[in-house]
Amino acid sequence: MNKSTSQGNDKLLIDVGSTYFKVSTADSIEQHFRDFNKDILDDLVHRCGDTIDRFDKDDVHICSSANGGLSTLIIGVTNSFSLKYATNIAFNSGINIIDTILYQNIEEYSIPSDLVDVVIIVGGIDSCAGIFNESLYNYLSQLNYSNVVFVGSEQDAPVLKQNIENIAILPNIIDNKLHIVEEHLKEYLTNLYQQDIEGKEDIKNLYDITANQIYSTPYIVNKTLPHIDARYSVVDPFILLDIGGATTDIHYSKDLVDDNLVTENEYDRMVFKKLGVYKSKQSLIFAAQNNEFVYELLMHLKVTENIFNEQSEKATRILMQLAIFLVLCKISHYRKAYINLKLLAINSIVLTGGITKVLTTEEIEDIVSFFYKKILTSDHKPVVVLDTNYDIWTLGAKG
Amino acid sequence: MKVVTGVVGNDIHVVANRLIDLSLRARGFEVFNLGVNTYLEEFFDAVVETGADVLLISSLNGEAEGWSREVKPLKAKYKNLDNLIMMIGGNLVVGSGDAEQIVPKYKNYGFDLVCHQIDLNTGLDWLEELIEKRNLK
Ligand code: B12
Repeated sequence: MNKSTSQGNDKLLIDVGSTYFKVSTADSIEQHFRDFNKDILDDLVHRCGDTIDRFDKDDVHICSSANGGLSTLIIGVTNSFSLKYATNIAFNSGINIIDTILYQNIEEYSIPSDLVDVVIIVGGIDSCAGIFNESLYNYLSQLNYSNVVFVGSEQDAPVLKQNIENIAILPNIIDNKLHIVEEHLKEYLTNLYQQDIEGKEDIKNLYDITANQIYSTPYIVNKTLPHIDARYSVVDPFILLDIGGATTDIHYSKDLVDDNLVTENEYDRMVFKKLGVYKSKQSLIFAAQNNEFVYELLMHLKVTENIFNEQSEKATRILMQLAIFLVLCKISHYRKAYINLKLLAINSIVLTGGITKVLTTEEIEDIVSFFYKKILTSDHKPVVVLDTNYDIWTLGAKG
Repeated sequence: MKVVTGVVGNDIHVVANRLIDLSLRARGFEVFNLGVNTYLEEFFDAVVETGADVLLISSLNGEAEGWSREVKPLKAKYKNLDNLIMMIGGNLVVGSGDAEQIVPKYKNYGFDLVCHQIDLNTGLDWLEELIEKRNLK
């Protein structure tokens, strides 16, 4: 087919997720469940080969959240500074956090059995020395990891370099005023993501159809948020929920946190691993069963617990509704998390991802107001906005 | 010598905090000022990250006592804060109060220097004396 149809700002945007992929052109958007018996590229070509053929490699932009992205384990010396700052940077770079370890208690933590893509070690301002010792090296010697990076006190860097093989040393993410410095670690992590993609056969093949760099989806979404009002009348402050198949992503306006974290981003991201409606369905159900309000919610939705054993469209809808409720619980003061958001100040809740194809605005509003009534005893009603056409991702992927 | 300072809890009285920052610097201290509205954990965490020798907390609006009761249990969770000099000042009770009762009470909460409605310069003189006594300088 003649490729002259692909001209001007006409681009093909592809988002590969853990459960389905989306293919968007200027005039249409398609969404397909992935066929896990096929390689991603084969699967894509099989479903949308004609569309892909119409575009020049330069005009194809791909982002991916498949495989859940990179995983990190963070070792830091305090909750309020080193761990919080590294967590923030990792989340904003589209990386998933397996665990955070408070260094002084490192001996009490169990060693994750899964391979960790990158270990981040952080602690101390540059004028503070001698923070780390044997206990760190011991822990690392038992851990299975691919990369390790140090972003703490420059005085400790040489010692760590001597004791930890292949450790990357970057400038401190905590400056002398105890403020966060993001750029170096962020760049390192996004580059690592590129290398990871290039190493994964499956995704690597996608470079056959694009001449552009493949980015992580949450990174793209986070970049778009300052421009979200180009598509929707979203009123700041807002949160954006991307309830996916394997994980749930939350992007939020910085105004929603009262914090010592002063970054240049207007929006930050956090992730709940294993809170998704397909791949992580079992752990979602487990989280639900451990939430004291869920039974009331099920009653409110006029179903019983048996719905968890069902495989039906209705069961999926209920799971999605539960996911919204659980995520809101997790970021509220009802549960102490990495960060609690001032949910009473939220003006809009934006939902993107597959959920927008399944639930209606009314159904989501219903859950949201149930949450506000039960958990926050408030009649607050933020406006619910559905990103049904994936405008947010399209906006971001266009760059 | 490094000092972490700030105003504890929900207190937003900022004037003293600015003066403390300036006075400490004038006396040659390296100051890490967490400002108003600072929670106890942030104070201790800042001490860990900076390797500070002194923690100087102020409280003006009457919240001091509630927070001070939390000091010992929280500090006990940290493994390397035994040599930290702990100092508190400002208005440590609601109303004027009696220093003879207030000081022992706050020492019992875990503070080495207690400056209830004490002039800043006097308080900082005490601090320097204590540092000298402990041979830190
Ligand atoms: C200005 C002021 C406010 C302003 C603060 C503006 C701002 N952002 O700073 C506003 C209007 C917001 C305010 C609010 C409130 N305030 Co007011 N405020 C004052 C006032 C009039 C002056 C404070 C000031 O700046 N003084 C100047 C500085 C330089 O002096 P200083 O704060 O006393 O600090 C000196 C010493 O205490 C000492 N010092 C301080 N810390 C330390 C630490 C050490 C280690 C040492 C050695 C010395 C030291 O050094 C300083 C210099 O000498 C005082 C009354 C007064 N005249 O002191 C009340 C006062 C502090 N406020 C008071 C109260 C109750 C409140 C409110 C609760 C009122 C209310 N009901 O809403 C709120 C609380 C708000 C909050 N979340 O904290 C009470 C506190 C009572 C108590 N502790 O028993 C006071 C004493 C008034 C009173 N007599 O009742 N306040």
